[in-house]
Amino acid sequence: MKKFLVLLFSVVLVFSLAACNSSSKSTSSDESKPKEEKKGDEPVTLRISWWGSQPRHDYTLKIIEMYEKQHPNVKIEAEYAAWDDYWKKLAPQAAANELPDIIQMDLSYFSQYSQNGQLADLSKFAGKEINTKDIAKNVIDGGKIGDKLYGINSGVNVVGFHYDPALLKKAGVDSIPEDWTWDDYKEIAAKAKAAGLFVDSGMKADVFFNYYLRTQGKSLYSKDGTTLGYKDDKLFVDFFKMTSGLVKDKAVPTPDYLAQLKGLEDSDLVTSKGIGVWQWSNQFVGLQQVANRQLEIAPMPGPDTKKGLYLKPAMFWSVGNNSKNKAEAAKFIDFMINDIEANKLNLGDRGVPGSSVVKDALKPLLSPAQVQVFDYVEWAEKNSSAFDGPDPVGAGEVIELMDSISEQMAYGNLKVEDAAKQFRQQAESILAQNKK
Amino acid sequence: MSTRVVKENVEANITIRPVSKRSRAIKENLTGYAFISPFVIGFLAFTLIPIVMSLYLSFTNYNLFAAPKWIGLDNYVKMFTADPRYWQSLKVTIIYVFAGVPFRLIVALLIAILLNTASKAVGLYRTLFYLPSLIGGSVAVAIMWRNVFGDQGIVNIVLDMLGIPVVRWFGNPTAALWMLIFLAAWQFGSSMLIFLAGLKGIPKSYYEAASVDGANGLQQFFKITLPMLSPVILFNTVMQTISAFMTFVPAFIISKGTGGPLDGTLLYSLYLYLQGFEFFNMGYASAMAWIMLIIVGILTLIIFATSKFWVHYESEGGR
Amino acid sequence: MMKLKSPKWWLYHLLVGGFAILMLYPVIWLLMSSFKPSDTIFVTAKSLIPDNWIWTNYAEGWKGIGGNSFGVFIRNTAIIVVITLIGQVISSSLIAFGFARLNFKGRGFWFALMMVTLMLPGEVVMVPQYIVFSKLDWLNSIKPLTVPAYFGTPFFIFLLVQFIRTIPRELDEAAIIDGCGTFKIFSKIILPLITPSLATVAIFSFYWTWDALLGPVLYLNSPSKYTVSMALNMFLSNETVSNWGAMFAMSIVTLIPVFLIFFIFQRYVVEGISTSGLKG
Repeated sequence: MKKFLVLLFSVVLVFSLAACNSSSKSTSSDESKPKEEKKGDEPVTLRISWWGSQPRHDYTLKIIEMYEKQHPNVKIEAEYAAWDDYWKKLAPQAAANELPDIIQMDLSYFSQYSQNGQLADLSKFAGKEINTKDIAKNVIDGGKIGDKLYGINSGVNVVGFHYDPALLKKAGVDSIPEDWTWDDYKEIAAKAKAAGLFVDSGMKADVFFNYYLRTQGKSLYSKDGTTLGYKDDKLFVDFFKMTSGLVKDKAVPTPDYLAQLKGLEDSDLVTSKGIGVWQWSNQFVGLQQVANRQLEIAPMPGPDTKKGLYLKPAMFWSVGNNSKNKAEAAKFIDFMINDIEANKLNLGDRGVPGSSVVKDALKPLLSPAQVQVFDYVEWAEKNSSAFDGPDPVGAGEVIELMDSISEQMAYGNLKVEDAAKQFRQQAESILAQNKK
Repeated sequence: MSTRVVKENVEANITIRPVSKRSRAIKENLTGYAFISPFVIGFLAFTLIPIVMSLYLSFTNYNLFAAPKWIGLDNYVKMFTADPRYWQSLKVTIIYVFAGVPFRLIVALLIAILLNTASKAVGLYRTLFYLPSLIGGSVAVAIMWRNVFGDQGIVNIVLDMLGIPVVRWFGNPTAALWMLIFLAAWQFGSSMLIFLAGLKGIPKSYYEAASVDGANGLQQFFKITLPMLSPVILFNTVMQTISAFMTFVPAFIISKGTGGPLDGTLLYSLYLYLQGFEFFNMGYASAMAWIMLIIVGILTLIIFATSKFWVHYESEGGR
Repeated sequence: MMKLKSPKWWLYHLLVGGFAILMLYPVIWLLMSSFKPSDTIFVTAKSLIPDNWIWTNYAEGWKGIGGNSFGVFIRNTAIIVVITLIGQVISSSLIAFGFARLNFKGRGFWFALMMVTLMLPGEVVMVPQYIVFSKLDWLNSIKPLTVPAYFGTPFFIFLLVQFIRTIPRELDEAAIIDGCGTFKIFSKIILPLITPSLATVAIFSFYWTWDALLGPVLYLNSPSKYTVSMALNMFLSNETVSNWGAMFAMSIVTLIPVFLIFFIFQRYVVEGISTSGLKG
């Protein structure tokens, strides 16, 4: 028994040593806990978190360094991670009231976090700490839910058709006609098929169906987010008849073929088996880089392209509601979106900047592919209409439902008419939870 | 046998001692609790509160951020009556468990027996066979698997040579589930290692005696190896069943977090994760977890109950 | 003169070696791909051997992320692994002995409770547990990852219980006659006999902690504290181009320590401490 006590004691000792060991490591973070500070010159520590890849980590750290040099009283602690890991971290942090001061926020999680009081209302900082005079009103409004501003747009993306002009010629089409329509698209698809090519790699159901609905004056979600934004299932049937028809005609690859691909590197456009890809403007540069040849951007098919297109907030900068240094956090957000030197490091990686001044300053520094993106977004600014606002709570579930239903249609397992009914019934039961 | 004689002696010995039964019982209790005290303390400090909270949350509508709202049995009712994806995930998981666990255990046991000799070369083999398990659940696995089962991957090349049409492993729901099962079987290293440790514990003299009696290899396997290994087999069966029910990482990385194609790899834990952290229905996810606990618990109880008939504990007089 | 190997020997190595190579094909592919330029990995997936061997993936990967070299991540992980391993081996063997050999009131209850903790999916206790650790002010430290190891790990406890139960009781009883106390029985009789399973526990503890992703993701915020599994994910991108080459190269690098640990410890699993000790 005595021996046992000795051992128990040594276990406790080892354990407490281990604890000491790690606590000495964590003191730095304990010190850095945001404290209640008001005056401008007193030391402030801000936590900022973002997701992304290596280049983004590198340049954001440089921006932070630049800011800290200009504001010696501010210390910024960076917490960055890969996309999947980022969201795994953020949810428990929110549940435990431990969110960072500055949060890079994605549109798909935006409503969830802001409507549950996790994000601070930034309206009182807009126009003061955060300079908004060079940014179009509808770009700023993208971060609004109701009359509260929960995030500042870091830049915008616009959806379009990214294609290889050489492959288009190979299919016997000289160029995408100006103001092209869905009929033109179907015609090109047929020609591509005849030339042994795929026209594209399918359309992400929620994004492009929503675009289609917008051209018809409707939207995927109703304004209050409690139901679907279209009443007539014929719209659903028309759109998905077209997409699943193209799969059936072998102009667009089947989902099981697409599922076998490993990544961008062996995608059809890169390996010259498909003419184009439907995606957001921020994905163009990476695609061009991997394909390593001249690619072009075409707008969405019409009619009523202008009604359908909109400037989508690429991501937001939000402030955690538990932050004790909201004004300081807002100042740093201002630096990231308005400072020319900071944006020269960033070069539109977080979306084409909303500020016209920044945009003009960056133009001479851009690569040819980046210029294409900037030009396309600039064109879209004049040829688009207002953004419907962030997706409602539950949208993630609706999108997953839509992906699964459109997958089943593409496999030919589900008739489009039945799918329309099934989607409406299940989506509305998800959205109905938003009714107060 | 001599065991019994020794045992009786000891019992006789103990009863003779002039210690009252009660104080001996108290002492035994104290010693027992002293040994398991780390677990008891750790359980009370770190585990009990979260478990009770998750049970409470299963009766609420909780989105992680706002205060939970009590809704009684609604989550459970929805699960069983109004959620087809729940049933799909249950079905997929049951196939995964009942095909995957025996598959993995049999491979692991056979390899362990082949590698149960002490030589340098065999040590290297053991390490090589363990290597796939060491890679664990990293993203690299997903990429390797996409390569092996891709359109031009080695599996399809072999199938093609055999004249079998190419299978779209990532695009066909049934094939994708089997791919997950193969992946589980491929990473049999942990079970193999536990079997090896168990085989080490079987005294060589048993086999020598059996050889003298003229038992052949197969007879020795069934008469000595299997019974002597049975506690370890029980352990592996229980633990592999539990962990198979909880499998999350392979399904997540192979299906890129969706459980597709067509929910073919939507394992229970993956669906639970999606509900909790993608759809922010943590109350529902907690209810799913408690149903899982009941299912796995019943299964474990069944395995333990049958163990009376096939598990042989040397310490309990060979029962 | 070399003795000719018997046909049985050949058959054994043909069978076992062949199966090993078959199983290792994906790993070999990973190794070979780490010497290919990132953008050709998938295009040339069919050919195993790189056309020209490059080392840049290793150089680039080792540079790490955001100013932290990969060595930093390896060191971080190693610290967590060592602290956890010591805790799990000591605490789990004590607790297992208690469950397997001692008779006390409530033994069945606690054992059942332990099994229950194994059966509840971690995802649902994750958030409440996070809140507990945040109340203790343990966030952004390795405490939530290491301290619980000192309170026993159910998987290891159950494993060791099963092994202790295979040890004949007459050994203990003989020791009691010799006047040994309970702790002496544990340390002098049981521990030496379960070295193969303790080695198993050590191996598992090492590589599970080495591999662990969810815990570090939740509890470590500063990139300078990240572990290798988190760092590997950071080579990937959901928006632009992933650095596959660096990710593969560093996957290989992180495999080396686990590989070596396994190779060193696996003999104890099969041979036990005593015999291998004699060999030196």
